[in-house]
Amino acid sequence: MSRKNQTIAPVGAAAGLFLISVLTIACACLSVLGVKLSNAPVLPWEQMIPLGVYLAGVPVALIWLKVIGWKGDPGLVGAIFLLCGIGLVIQFRMGSFSQGLAAPLALAPFPLGLVAFVVGATAMGKGRGAWMANMSWLAYLAALGVLAGMLVLGRSFRGGLYLAGNLNPSEVIKPLLVFFLAAYLSRRQKEFSETQNGIPVPPFAALLGLVLLWGVPMVLTIALKDLGLMVLLNAILIVMLFAVARSTGYLAIGLAAVAAAGFGVQLISAHAQARFDVWLNPFADPTGKGWQVLQALSAMYSGGLWGAGLGSGVPQTVPIVSSDFVYAAVAEEIGFVGCGLLLLAYAVLFSRGFRAAGAARTPFERLLCVGLTASLAVQTILNVAGVTKALPMTGITLPLISHGGSSLITTLFIAGLLVGLSDHK
Amino acid sequence: MNLLNGAHGAEFLRAVQVVFLAFLTVAALAILFAPTGKPGKVNYGLLRIIVAGALFAVLAYQATWQLSGHTNSDFVRFMRRYNKRPNAAEMQVTRGPILDRRGMVLAAPVPGDMWGRRYPLGEAAVHPIGYFHSRYGITAVERVCDAALSGFGNDKRDELFGKNLFASRPNEGEAVTLTLDARLQQKAYELLIGEKGAVVVMLPRSGALLALVSSPGFDPLNPGVAIGDEENAPAFNRAVQGRYPPGSTFKILIAGAALEKGLSPSYACPGMGYIAGPNTPPIRDSEYYAFERKGAVWPGWGRLTLREAMAHSSNVYFAQLGVACGADAFNSVIARARINDPLIYAKGSSGTLESAAGNVPKISKKRTIAQLAIGQGEVLVTPLHVACFTAAVANGGALMRPRLLQNGKREKLSDLFMPKTTEQLRGMLRDVVLFGTGKAANVPDLEVCGKTGTAQAPGGEDHAWFTCFAPRKHPNIVITVLVEHGGYGAKSALPVARELLVEADKLGYVRRSAEVEK
Repeated sequence: MSRKNQTIAPVGAAAGLFLISVLTIACACLSVLGVKLSNAPVLPWEQMIPLGVYLAGVPVALIWLKVIGWKGDPGLVGAIFLLCGIGLVIQFRMGSFSQGLAAPLALAPFPLGLVAFVVGATAMGKGRGAWMANMSWLAYLAALGVLAGMLVLGRSFRGGLYLAGNLNPSEVIKPLLVFFLAAYLSRRQKEFSETQNGIPVPPFAALLGLVLLWGVPMVLTIALKDLGLMVLLNAILIVMLFAVARSTGYLAIGLAAVAAAGFGVQLISAHAQARFDVWLNPFADPTGKGWQVLQALSAMYSGGLWGAGLGSGVPQTVPIVSSDFVYAAVAEEIGFVGCGLLLLAYAVLFSRGFRAAGAARTPFERLLCVGLTASLAVQTILNVAGVTKALPMTGITLPLISHGGSSLITTLFIAGLLVGLSDHK
Repeated sequence: MNLLNGAHGAEFLRAVQVVFLAFLTVAALAILFAPTGKPGKVNYGLLRIIVAGALFAVLAYQATWQLSGHTNSDFVRFMRRYNKRPNAAEMQVTRGPILDRRGMVLAAPVPGDMWGRRYPLGEAAVHPIGYFHSRYGITAVERVCDAALSGFGNDKRDELFGKNLFASRPNEGEAVTLTLDARLQQKAYELLIGEKGAVVVMLPRSGALLALVSSPGFDPLNPGVAIGDEENAPAFNRAVQGRYPPGSTFKILIAGAALEKGLSPSYACPGMGYIAGPNTPPIRDSEYYAFERKGAVWPGWGRLTLREAMAHSSNVYFAQLGVACGADAFNSVIARARINDPLIYAKGSSGTLESAAGNVPKISKKRTIAQLAIGQGEVLVTPLHVACFTAAVANGGALMRPRLLQNGKREKLSDLFMPKTTEQLRGMLRDVVLFGTGKAANVPDLEVCGKTGTAQAPGGEDHAWFTCFAPRKHPNIVITVLVEHGGYGAKSALPVARELLVEADKLGYVRRSAEVEK
């Protein structure tokens, strides 16, 4: 029975999945183009450059994986490029590339992200990245440097902090701190997995050190008033603690701590409190604070079960719909059914990410894989839950789909690392 | 490229969407079932389940907005006002009318005005119908039937099962039919003008509400003034939200509880009253105070049977009867009469309307029973509760759910009394009207049965009650009237009920043997 499995080379399987993705994306493109052409009968070819890069660049990346002898999880690659393709069509539809060659920076993120993907996959493949465990302090200091730099140079924008050109460097902090945590925790794995009479004993010395080291970036994120980033980082920490100790106690205590911290933050921060209030009752101030989420929900309602059709909806009524609230536009145009399929693709991505972690050889690689997957998973859940009002809005983007150059490049880099880590031989 | 405009273009785009979703399904399933490579030592099953579960939970929550957002009236209202989609159905739907049981218009849309609404009965029916106002929101039936009225009632559900894939929504909302009779509603409101009070008119066997009146009313087109008027509280629906001591109307329940227990004693009812325990003031008949005011001394009724005591509404008798019944029988009859529960009287497409809950404390001591048995002390009920237990007596003991919507289900809430008990109670209540405190309600040929009530009210005259049904043999209608600070029940509440009985008879509701009751 294993013979059949061996006949399908991982890269071949990934190529097959990519082919199905291309067909899906082509349909989506046809729909968007149909609407765009009926409004203005000029082929917007410049705007389609990122999609062209997708069509031509992903096979090149796959060939490169074949060349380096990659034998990882093809489903991971398939999920990444399916979601990424949908993201590109949605951004094409939202007009993110509408300035064409006049604004090359808007077109650049996907090609750059694809390069980052290949670099990540190559660097991490076949255990090549194990040495990075020794560089974790560099990652930690770099994360602090970025946070401090944002605090000094950043300008406040929509409650979050952005650098010039709305480049959001806080994206980089996620993988950097995951690197640091993976190295720190894997080195102390023994202490974390100690048990007495079957009951895990928390390693107080290691935990205290962690609290002190973790405290610095936390203080900086609070100073930056970046609530979303703080929640995200702490969720990653909890998942990684759980992964290293293999004890559900960390998960339970951690979730309780995050809920308590979230509640505490909304008490002291007016910005957070406003989001909390909107979450509890958006109808209290429907034209003010509740406006965005209510417009998002209206967009979803208009989409209904089957969607208005890609390009045929009116998601522009939702403020900043192409980045934080892109899920509302997706829900309006591909409907509840499409959303279910999209979230299924995300679930497969995360599931396979965690599975790859289990197969990794060294504790460092395993934890790195868990942390990176968790960073994408938590980000997705928080974003989608925020847009649907299941949780308060945290102002973080939807991986691979939201508009945002730094987000796309970082996410593709993380995805590349995961794809590399899944090839553990 | 002109092909893409017009009907063909729309069809083409729909076809593309179907193909896209089909491909997306294939793609998602393909990555789900793609080969996984070697299994690892650990598989982090818990993490995978948590993440997938969280995504699924969010999706399920999303469905409450995306697929059934129309059941949230706040949300529908928001979309109606602020959804700027050019073809948004919620912008174009003409709100459906609200009709009475005979098809008379109670609320109707104004052509060309999204927020326009016409209420022919005006302030007379504003409490059950509610208002639909761009600034003050939506209340009562307008609120709980919002989805149906806005045309959101069924179409989404059809779409869910694929019947109307991509079909457009109707541009007209459904009509909602109430059990009210506009003529009785109007008449009852007119009878209460100048008073604060409530009227409930009910069909005893079905629980259908023919009139649900609260006075003072207010203009449904301009609710702002009423909302601001705290002194008269016209926006407050006294018939279902007002909580009042039931006074002697409560004796119906006590008499029933005693009869169920096989008790039908006669008691000495001295003029000085009955003292339930040490340090409790004596419970006296109202005649004691009437005599006292005239400077005379009330000699008392002497010995009274249950039948006589009901006719004279003797507090001294019923205090003793309550004590004889005991706490268990008392608590049980209160529970069966649903006094401490809110009564849901309308289940609409977007919510339910319910009355306030009454308040009867659970008791153990005999002196509290004595107070509560005559409907004083801490007992509070809504007029709807009184109407419901009166209807149960008229209906052979079955307590029916009151209902305001014509398509609502007929539903028995409990068996308040055995049929035999109600037969005896009906005789007693007939005596009240023939010989007792309710004489003035004896409309010829109608065989009215009823009970007066006078309940001590803080800060002013007593609240006046009259609750009745007719005809005795085959009761077809129940009327409950409450007049706040109306004084003696027979003086202010009874005449209203009498007028309504006459009117209802004219409209054919009283003298009929019809078994069919909608």
